[in-house]
Amino acid sequence: MSYNDDAEKLTELGQGLAGIDLNAASAARIAHRARQDVGRGPSLLRFIEPAIAAVLVTSYLVWAIAKVFEALP
Amino acid sequence: MRSPGDADEHAWLDGLRRGDATAFDAVFAGYRRRLYSHLVRMTRRRDVAEDLLQETFLRLAQHAARLAPDTRLGAWLFTVAHRLVVSWARAQAVRDQLAGDLPRREAAGDDRSPLEALADSQAQLALERAFAALPPAYREVALLVGVEGLPPIEVAQILGQTPEAVRQRLARARTQLAEALGEHAPASWRAP
Repeated sequence: MSYNDDAEKLTELGQGLAGIDLNAASAARIAHRARQDVGRGPSLLRFIEPAIAAVLVTSYLVWAIAKVFEALP
Repeated sequence: MRSPGDADEHAWLDGLRRGDATAFDAVFAGYRRRLYSHLVRMTRRRDVAEDLLQETFLRLAQHAARLAPDTRLGAWLFTVAHRLVVSWARAQAVRDQLAGDLPRREAAGDDRSPLEALADSQAQLALERAFAALPPAYREVALLVGVEGLPPIEVAQILGQTPEAVRQRLARARTQLAEALGEHAPASWRAP
């Protein structure tokens, strides 16, 4: 069977699936939340969080390596 | 389901690129129901679908100014939704593994799944169950082609697959759906 035949049959079947919508309050909340970001670009947190994590991990590694050197005879 | 026309899409895209919140509202109204239906059927959980829908539109809002002039909004939104579903499914698999044999927590108090709850006839229930029983990879292709009416090239781009892989998945989805539906399959599906 060809792709077109499969697609046609699936489309016929898909028409029997009812659309599902979320409740109006949730939709309004999501729209309100997202529209505030239109044209603003990604949140600064997106860059700050990985930077803080990198600083913490690096500090810990430096501390751990220093401890290893301290323990050496 | 009705798809927005090309003229709508161009106007919305222009508006989004200018940072026009009204254009965002139009896109949200045009795609909310389609994306949410898709996400509910992929995750089988309304609460998760709602979270992923919010994340999809947040990403659209944040990327609005950087969208290319030839962006196809539907494909863009379904690509983001697909990636979010994949990430969620991976995290869910890890949680399930960690939880071992503990009984799975259900999100809502209703005993029926969200899909079963909305089915208002035996045939529709059988249809929802048949789609739900498909492996996620086949289900996603079946939904994108059968419900969204997207061409194979666009589905392949959304899923990061080759058009040939999409064709194969669609053929397998059709076979499995026919088996699962049995007597509930449309007349045209049965042997002539």
